[in-house]
Amino acid sequence: MEYASIEREIYVDASPEIVFDVVSRPEHVKQWWPDDADYSLVPGEAGRISFGEKSETFTVVDVRRPRSFAFRWTHPEGEAAEQGNSFLVTFDLTPKGDGTLLRMSETGFRERGWTEAVAEEHHRDHISGWDFFLPRLAPYADTLKVGS
Amino acid sequence: MTVDDDLWQAIGDPTRRRMLDLLLADGDGTATTLGHRLSVTRQGVAKHLVVLERAGLVRGATSGRERRYRVDDAQLARAVAQLSSVGAAWDARLQRIKRIAESLPPATS
Repeated sequence: MEYASIEREIYVDASPEIVFDVVSRPEHVKQWWPDDADYSLVPGEAGRISFGEKSETFTVVDVRRPRSFAFRWTHPEGEAAEQGNSFLVTFDLTPKGDGTLLRMSETGFRERGWTEAVAEEHHRDHISGWDFFLPRLAPYADTLKVGS
Repeated sequence: MTVDDDLWQAIGDPTRRRMLDLLLADGDGTATTLGHRLSVTRQGVAKHLVVLERAGLVRGATSGRERRYRVDDAQLARAVAQLSSVGAAWDARLQRIKRIAESLPPATS
């Protein structure tokens, strides 16, 4: 069974060690994503991230400082995170010049992810011309209207 | 906004995305015409068409001995909009990651 994925990359003018800490350590993660993050950097241990009153399950999958970091989230309460019940987010870091090329992918899309994604739609105006998934379909978006 | 796994699965496969491209370019197509253009067996194409039709991305209509398929514009637009909103959320997060990392002092440890 193949699910769609989102893939992105961005250059960061900071060392891989720093970027790794920002994408992985809860005290940094809550600065760029959830309102609060409560988990340990131990693969398999149950954790949580919260958005206001709402919270989601969060489990670290792989920790390789400063090369890669992966976690799963939105698996049902009480279930172990695994393929098919959660989203898998992977960060890969590669040194580039004085900085870091940061690659992100998210796979395993299921219904729950949309609510959260839509809630962040107001950040859209920060975006400048990056490619997005399905580049061959994207141009059609402008020519089509939903539900007309 | 309701989304289902069917929609994601349908567009998660490269052959099915090529089929959508061809149907959009040609206006419509049958399992036979798509099979010729993709070097996929007619039977293989028929299976992919079932997946696309179940997701609502194509609509089939019987014409003579074959079913002709067209892309459902509204459903495709919906799929693209959903992908775009998830992508946009990550774009914003990555910009914040960049800003935070670039503002931290170099590690001393």
